[in-house]
Amino acid sequence: MTAGAPTTVGAAGQGVAEAPQPQPVLRVSDLSAFYQTHYFGIVREVRAVDDISLHVLPNEIYGLAGESSCGKTTLIKTIAGAIQPPLNVVGGSVKFDFRGQSINVYESTPEERNAMRWQHLSYIMQGSMSVLNPVRRVRHSFVDFAFRHIGRSMPDFLDTVVGHLERLHLRADVLDAYPHELSGGMRQRVTIALATVCRPEFIIADEPTTALDVVVQKGVLAMIRGIQREIGSSLLFVTHDLSVHANLADRLGIMYAGHIVEEGPTAELFASPRHPYTVHLIGSLPRVGDAAPKKGLEGVPPNLADPPPGCRFHPRCPLAMGICSRETPVMEWAGPGRRVACFAAEKGITA
Amino acid sequence: MLSILKDLLRYNREFAAGAALLGIVVAMSAMSALAPMPPDDVYVVPPDLPPSWTYLMGTTSRGQDVFWQLSFAIRNTLLFGFIVALLSRILSLVIGLLSGYLGGFVDRVLMSINDTFIVMPLFPILVMFYFVMRDRMSWAALALVMAGLGWAYDARLIRSIAMSLRTRQFTEHSVYSGMSTRQIVAQEHLPYVMPIVFSTTMNNINWSIGLEVTLSVLGFTNINTPTIGVMIYWANQHTAMTAGVWWWVFFPVALVIMVFIGLFLLAVSMNEYIDPRSRLSRMRSAKT
Amino acid sequence: MSPPLLEVSNASKIYAMGGLLSRRRFAAVADVSFTLEEDRHEIFTIIGESGSGKTTLARMILNIVPATEGTIRFRGVDLATIRKRADRLAFMRQVQPIFQNPFEAFNPLKRVDRYLYMTALHFTDARTADEVRAKADRALRQVGLSLAEVKGRFPHELSGGQLQRVAVARSLISSPALIIADEPVSMVDASIRMSIVNLFKALRDTLKVSIIYITHDLATAYYISDRIIIMKKGEVVESGNAREVLAHPTHPYSILLKNSVLSPDPSRRDELLAPQFSSTEKDIAALR
Repeated sequence: MTAGAPTTVGAAGQGVAEAPQPQPVLRVSDLSAFYQTHYFGIVREVRAVDDISLHVLPNEIYGLAGESSCGKTTLIKTIAGAIQPPLNVVGGSVKFDFRGQSINVYESTPEERNAMRWQHLSYIMQGSMSVLNPVRRVRHSFVDFAFRHIGRSMPDFLDTVVGHLERLHLRADVLDAYPHELSGGMRQRVTIALATVCRPEFIIADEPTTALDVVVQKGVLAMIRGIQREIGSSLLFVTHDLSVHANLADRLGIMYAGHIVEEGPTAELFASPRHPYTVHLIGSLPRVGDAAPKKGLEGVPPNLADPPPGCRFHPRCPLAMGICSRETPVMEWAGPGRRVACFAAEKGITA
Repeated sequence: MLSILKDLLRYNREFAAGAALLGIVVAMSAMSALAPMPPDDVYVVPPDLPPSWTYLMGTTSRGQDVFWQLSFAIRNTLLFGFIVALLSRILSLVIGLLSGYLGGFVDRVLMSINDTFIVMPLFPILVMFYFVMRDRMSWAALALVMAGLGWAYDARLIRSIAMSLRTRQFTEHSVYSGMSTRQIVAQEHLPYVMPIVFSTTMNNINWSIGLEVTLSVLGFTNINTPTIGVMIYWANQHTAMTAGVWWWVFFPVALVIMVFIGLFLLAVSMNEYIDPRSRLSRMRSAKT
Repeated sequence: MSPPLLEVSNASKIYAMGGLLSRRRFAAVADVSFTLEEDRHEIFTIIGESGSGKTTLARMILNIVPATEGTIRFRGVDLATIRKRADRLAFMRQVQPIFQNPFEAFNPLKRVDRYLYMTALHFTDARTADEVRAKADRALRQVGLSLAEVKGRFPHELSGGQLQRVAVARSLISSPALIIADEPVSMVDASIRMSIVNLFKALRDTLKVSIIYITHDLATAYYISDRIIIMKKGEVVESGNAREVLAHPTHPYSILLKNSVLSPDPSRRDELLAPQFSSTEKDIAALR
């Protein structure tokens, strides 16, 4: 569907429009957010989100992949405007455009941001228990989070909720259950229902299926995609699991050490990855039925408080050249809808 | 160790303030070695003189110099508090850690002893000790008795931490590295309870000094050994406050408050170096 | 004929739950039997979802949790008879664990090399500090590290992949015959995962160690296993040659499990994620 959106909103801002295309719902430009600490006069800076640009179109699932501590959770926190010191935004902007109503997250007031949340923007988190109050029935969570956004009378509101639950193949009696009475998969589906009941234009999902068993995971993913397609919202889906991205994301961004290093339509990215890190990630995925030897990547992800100079991947990169340790590659346009930050890929060398 | 102390002094205001307060108190107690007269002698100076250059903290109605008297009193009180805390810490650590780590039968036996001590009323027991021991009731004997009575709450606290540590994976990892119970408890688990031990030490010194003062003021201790409590006892006997001899009460009380605040600040700042992930070590690695 | 390396026969672990009146029995592991031969060095995989009893089974084999029914014998010795510390050390020398979360397996307040030294000291003939360090270094080199990289480091200073390698190295110091790895790669980053998995393969082939690999991930299981068992609610539902079972599962639960694995292939996505969750739900309901 929207796969292959033919523009890039890059650091240089070159937009090569080839076809009329919808206005992005989310536009992140040159965003940098660092953890800055001052203890006893010594300043430390962890560059968790470093000069990131991306956009998400209406009705699109944008997948964000990366290892632990690559900055992906910090990135979505920053996008949602849910940051607290020591995390500070040091540059760039985050703009949402909800059907004509636009908001620049870091130039708006806290009231405007709060109004945006839940009605236009909602989250699905990994731990469903942190959303559902463990000592109150599920019904209360719906009332607490969504009642005032929907703005109807209580019976009307509950009818809406029940209708929504049915759409997600949940029976109405889950409303009267306590969270601990539901299974893990059921609980995660309730949190999805909670996040989507206001039909938000934008949903952020942070590893929503990582804690689930495989059998349950597939159903939950199908449900997330079903509801996203039905209400036509955009979804920013974060997980380290590339198999999940392969099955869900329309476009995929690969993060490494605070940068997005490659971006493109999922199918094309899997078929012909350009960045050596992506090449490795996709090449080393084990599959049932494939026992061919697969290699791991040597070395360790860099410390974001003291990243290596130049390309942050160069100490582990099989294609590293002289320039890689001196200059930082920028995200370059690399074919329709694709961007990559790699000097070797630019020259057409692949791993 | 020295460099840790130096860093703590330089970067940690709580530590610096606590160390300064305790430094004053310790210096005061060290002055007792220089005292021109033994602490027991009375009527060696003119009585009831207010603080002056000759008598820094004034003199008592018994003709003693408050400054020199206080130096002996704070020395004995500090020593008393530390001995009670040290002995009761050892008891509560050994019992709490073993009970929590071993669990089962050992835990049940130790905790039933522990609970017995928790429900025992302390004050009547201490008074009873005084009536049984009478003249043999030295402050050393009192310290032993109070250490024996003061470990139970903290042993329970330490046990609860040890119980959660037992279920951590690194404990099993230690078992499979061949470590013995003693090694696991003393080397793997002890560092986790040290912050608690430091803050309970503060509480315990506080508690024991407070109880000692109470008993002394009421005359239930050996009133011939000067302690802060005994000083206040004598001041009360001579109705110092109504007679306007406020310095006899003020200086002992002020010094005891300095001890409490100093210990509290130290306990708070100690956590900084116990945890290697704390700011201090992160800071040091940032420097190098 | 020498006894097999590990013989699990009809082993069960039954917990009693609930209060006095509503006592229920709950079998975490029910009637599991399998045998690992002495000379056939293999990777034996236990597959199951959360609550399948796979971790309980692993802990039974490690003799952390006793079997309530059936027996587990290691080289002919019934684990239930191992009580004395000397016997337990002898058992641990031959059977070593690797834990799921490398950040939890090392005490965050202690240096990681300490676990290596302790293992060398208790399970090998190394006595002097130099001998102990040499043993640690040799083991670390077998996993692609060296003592110089690890010495004096705290867990938070190493990455998850490095820590898991150190954990593997530690388990190798005593030259065990059997290693039990409980989800060893589920917490390790994708780019490192295959190197750890390959490491297990190398240990089997070069060091002649048998490995029990416990996982929920069918893909890595297919990649390294020789034999597998699939567990569900404490019971083994299917067992046999890993490639055959995973390629052509016969039990309905195994088939469901295999069909639930997401293929990392975007071209098949619509078939995989077709909105079929109501039927999946029915499948689960029927199976549970």
